Amino acid sequence: MAVRKRSRRDLTIEQQLARGPVDLVFLALVLLLTAVGLIMLLSASFAIAMYNSYPGVDTGGNPYYYFIRQGGFALGGIALMYVISRIDYQRIRLLSVPALALSILLLLLIFTPLGWESNGARRWLRLGIRFQPSEFAKAAVIMFFAARLSKRNDELRAPPKKWNKRTFTGRAGAFLDRIGFLELVPYGAILLVILFLLYKEPHMSAMILVLVGAASVLLVSGVSLGWFAAAGTLVGAALWFIITQTKYMTARINVWLDPTVDLKGDGFQPWQSRIAIGSGGLLGKGLGNSIQKYQFLPEMQNDCIFAIACEELGLIGACVIIALFMLLILRGYWLAIHSRDRFGTLLIVGFITLLAAQTFFNIGVVTGVIPTTGISLPFFSYGGTALVIQLAEMGVVLSVSRQITAPKVE
Amino acid sequence: MEERERKSRADRGRSNRSLLRRTIGLMLVMGVLVFIPLVVQLVRLQILQYSEWKERAANQQTKSVAITANRGTIYDREGRAMALSATVYQLILSPRDVVALVNEDDKRFKDSEGNFNQAAYDAAVRERQTTIVNWLSANLGMDAESLRTRIEKTNSAYERLATEVEEEQAEQIRQFIKDQELANSLYLVDSSKRYYPFASIGSHILGYMSYNENSGDQKEGAMGIEALYEDALSGELGRQVYSKTGSGREMMSGYEMYFDAENGCDLTLTIDERIQSMLEQTLAEGIQTYDVQAGAFGIAIDPQTGAVLGMASAPDFDPNNYSAVIDEELRDQLSRIAEQYGEDSEEYSAAYKAAFDAQMRNKALSDAYEPGSTFKPLTVAMALEEGVISMDDHFYCGGSLKIDGYPKPIHCHQRAGHGEQSLTVAVANSCNVALMQIAFKIGAEKFYDYLENYGLKEKTGVDLVGEGGSFVLDRDTFTGPYGQSSLAVYSFGQTLKVTPIRMITAFASLINGGHLLEPYVVQSIRDDSGETVYYHETSEVRQTISESTSEKIRSILEYVVNEGSGHNAYQAGYRIAGKTGTSEKIDLRTPEDPDNDDVICSFMGYAPAEDPKVLVLLAYDTPKRSAPHSNLTANGTYISGGNITAPMAGKLIANILDYMGVEKQYTADELSAADVTMRRVTGLELTVAMGRLQGQGLGFRTVGTGQKVVRQVPEAGVSVPGGSTVVLYLGDETPPEQVEVPSVAGLTPTEAKTKLEELGLLMRASGAADYTGSSIRAISQSIEGGTSVAPGTVINVQFADNVVDYNVENNNDSSDVPVPPETG
Repeated sequence: MAVRKRSRRDLTIEQQLARGPVDLVFLALVLLLTAVGLIMLLSASFAIAMYNSYPGVDTGGNPYYYFIRQGGFALGGIALMYVISRIDYQRIRLLSVPALALSILLLLLIFTPLGWESNGARRWLRLGIRFQPSEFAKAAVIMFFAARLSKRNDELRAPPKKWNKRTFTGRAGAFLDRIGFLELVPYGAILLVILFLLYKEPHMSAMILVLVGAASVLLVSGVSLGWFAAAGTLVGAALWFIITQTKYMTARINVWLDPTVDLKGDGFQPWQSRIAIGSGGLLGKGLGNSIQKYQFLPEMQNDCIFAIACEELGLIGACVIIALFMLLILRGYWLAIHSRDRFGTLLIVGFITLLAAQTFFNIGVVTGVIPTTGISLPFFSYGGTALVIQLAEMGVVLSVSRQITAPKVE
Repeated sequence: MEERERKSRADRGRSNRSLLRRTIGLMLVMGVLVFIPLVVQLVRLQILQYSEWKERAANQQTKSVAITANRGTIYDREGRAMALSATVYQLILSPRDVVALVNEDDKRFKDSEGNFNQAAYDAAVRERQTTIVNWLSANLGMDAESLRTRIEKTNSAYERLATEVEEEQAEQIRQFIKDQELANSLYLVDSSKRYYPFASIGSHILGYMSYNENSGDQKEGAMGIEALYEDALSGELGRQVYSKTGSGREMMSGYEMYFDAENGCDLTLTIDERIQSMLEQTLAEGIQTYDVQAGAFGIAIDPQTGAVLGMASAPDFDPNNYSAVIDEELRDQLSRIAEQYGEDSEEYSAAYKAAFDAQMRNKALSDAYEPGSTFKPLTVAMALEEGVISMDDHFYCGGSLKIDGYPKPIHCHQRAGHGEQSLTVAVANSCNVALMQIAFKIGAEKFYDYLENYGLKEKTGVDLVGEGGSFVLDRDTFTGPYGQSSLAVYSFGQTLKVTPIRMITAFASLINGGHLLEPYVVQSIRDDSGETVYYHETSEVRQTISESTSEKIRSILEYVVNEGSGHNAYQAGYRIAGKTGTSEKIDLRTPEDPDNDDVICSFMGYAPAEDPKVLVLLAYDTPKRSAPHSNLTANGTYISGGNITAPMAGKLIANILDYMGVEKQYTADELSAADVTMRRVTGLELTVAMGRLQGQGLGFRTVGTGQKVVRQVPEAGVSVPGGSTVVLYLGDETPPEQVEVPSVAGLTPTEAKTKLEELGLLMRASGAADYTGSSIRAISQSIEGGTSVAPGTVINVQFADNVVDYNVENNNDSSDVPVPPETG
């Protein structure tokens, strides 16, 4: 026996923990949602693929076009999730820095000829495959913030920096330090850079999601609530200004409140999506029986897929899907609370909050609870890279879940 | 040092608690709270508003195509189709789909980098539009400019380009659609078009079809039978419903439903197209002859059932093209105005509207008029029924009568007075004084009861749209302080105004035994499968007078035509009875026009006198006077119902009876009338000739068409038996050189006379004292059958009553008696 297999005893505690079982509840929910999402995608995209009527995609009339591609990505994504769940998540602490740098680089690349523009927005990179770098950026920001903020307590415990009280800058610095502003500067700087790049694309929904993800990590890490209140006020004021002072946003809000004011234009999609949902009723028309998918509802395989689900599966089906999301989210936070260290907690909080926000925004838009923002539904909407990254993030959560110590059995 | 350690631990503890609290908080918010509004909204959409959204979904997801129901046919009483429908097409353009014909994804509109070339795309769309516009304007004669504006309304999916495309053109269009692959963007929809084969005949009764606010893309009946029986005629539209995709294509796996169209019902009218056209012809003839200013109307009803055989009003219109003014007089007026002011002037449109309204108006149904003397029989019937007068009473007319409460005495039309007259003669004289005396015997209260009783204050219930109202004083005013004068003028039909349909309905009750009937126009309704779903039974409103009073009135009225003011309506052999009327249009005497002497000349007559088959009311409104306040028309006719309307009505009634096949009944007087010398009428206007012959008691028939008499048979100076029918040739017609005398042996006097007169021969009867019995038969004739003679020859026919032998033995009902042997 030349090479003895390393036994458990040879491993460090961390290494032993990293080999623990993944959280099966969470894994089951992820797989279940992926499967349900795929089935709904098949149903929703069937007609549009058959009529080959989605601009920019040539399905060749194959009704399974979207399903087959998405299925392939799902399999790849699940494989990636498995691989990531086997990796000790502590390595992410180190990985997060190059990941952030890479995502900023990719965002910059968009503005080179490698970028690809569609509908007046430059959101895609064509490097062999076409994908949105903003998907990476969201994950990278969460990872980086989680890694840094998990050490926040140690930084706070470190002896406070001595400020030269005799100079103005010194006194100002001391003040900013005391109220915790200086601590936030690096995070703010990173966010500003990324938001600026996204703004230039422009990609409003990605900006929202990056902000939500980052904010959740900052919040849980213990940053004073006052800052959130201040930021919230600032964002609120900005939003109010934009909504009331720019024609574009005012129109958008009006259409949200009453799609009938512009049924042929911006009101078309929300109206059609409500028709789909409303005509589903309690029990729905049955899986595959949507009529709205026959070229009435735009983006039915993307942002509006939930409307088709409502039409076919009815209120009951829609509530089951929402319940699955809620269970996944609640289980995610449960794992965050029980994770072995602050880093694990923050990672999960970031990813799960991101998932929850995406789910809420998508269903909210489709049902008309909030104004239109182009946010896709995790696990359901068509989009290869999005699904793969989604599953990879779930892989990170699973990886954290492995290191949760099992409760002592009495 | 130790303290710092403790502080640090406390910090960490606080920090961990904060981490836990905040994570749990986030968990609650992101895992539960945010989903609540989503579920609430889903419940709202899918449960609370389910039906609304379902309907909206159905509206856009299904396409339904209307399947037209065939509108029912309207037949006259003899089964002639007066209004029928045929399939035509509506041409619909969807400008939106024309744009959609050009595929945006086409490579043509992409430059090398795959960017969309808007300009190229727009040009392609425009080219497509131009093809359609050019073809339509070239082949269907549509205005290219307006087509262009309509095709450029690219938001619209429904532009109706044409409404009544006939099959031939439809075929061309279908080919074009096929060639150009225009399905969805240009298409034909079934529709139907109404045809009225008899054009203006019966137009006011039939009505016409037009679009209105509620009719959508199908015309609906406006006016007349078409309007009143819209529901029965139109049937139910059918629909074909199928699910469609967002781009309008039929869904391959969708559902499809087909609701059959239910064809409309067919109506059979009481109107007889022939009688209707005779009526209209009579109106037109009279209007032309007497230069009638304010139109005319006529109604013919069956007095026994209330069935309206014809109802005409002049001017009228052609329902095939109802907006065109067809009356020549009105058209001339319009073109004069058009010349003076131009066709888009306000004056022109006002004049057009007036002309349009005039030709649409059914005077016989809607316009109340003063019945004048035609009302007198109603007054007499009241008095007879109430027993305040009897047939033997006499009335003295001194030319006028002073009424209490009225400043001037009311004059009779004969200023000198009629003197002493029997009741019958008083009516024949149309004596106003006698009528006033009779009315006073009745009294205002009773008189008013009868106005109501006759139905003059209520709608007749005739099944036509637009029945007008009457102007009759209310009871309190009528019987009040001025009662005597109201009663006096009402007694001869002045100052009250009733609609013609009410007047004729009331009059019918005088002659049919006192039955006030509901007049009606639709006899029966048959559904698509041929089943009769409605049949009008004679419906009696009430009894107005007794049968015996009715009989007395009939005898008075026959006397009026035979001997009195109605003698111009006399037609030998037809037993016409009736009453004339010349009514002043008193309501036109306004302060601005105090001397207005417009009159309505009317005649209410029926035949045969003892068993009325048809009752006719004919009236001409305002024949033109030859000079202001002259009593004559331009052609020298005295303006009165007796001189203008009675002859027209007499001829009309005779024609109607001929058409109905009612056998002529010559009276003994007519058959044994003294010979008269035939006057020269050749070269005269027909109407003037008519008057001359009637003055001699001669009947006539015409051959050919025209207004002037060119030949007459027999020639002037020939002595002809009174009551004979002579022949007038009009236009190019000439009498035959010779006719062959038929054998009349064994025929009744009436049959023999008719047979001979049909050939232009005249008959002088002899031998029998009374020619009315049906047992009288011809036994010999002066010129034997088979001999050729000149037309107009008088044949002496010997009659004998052969029935005596039989009656003694069998006491048979005489009508069944067989023809006796010649030797008998």
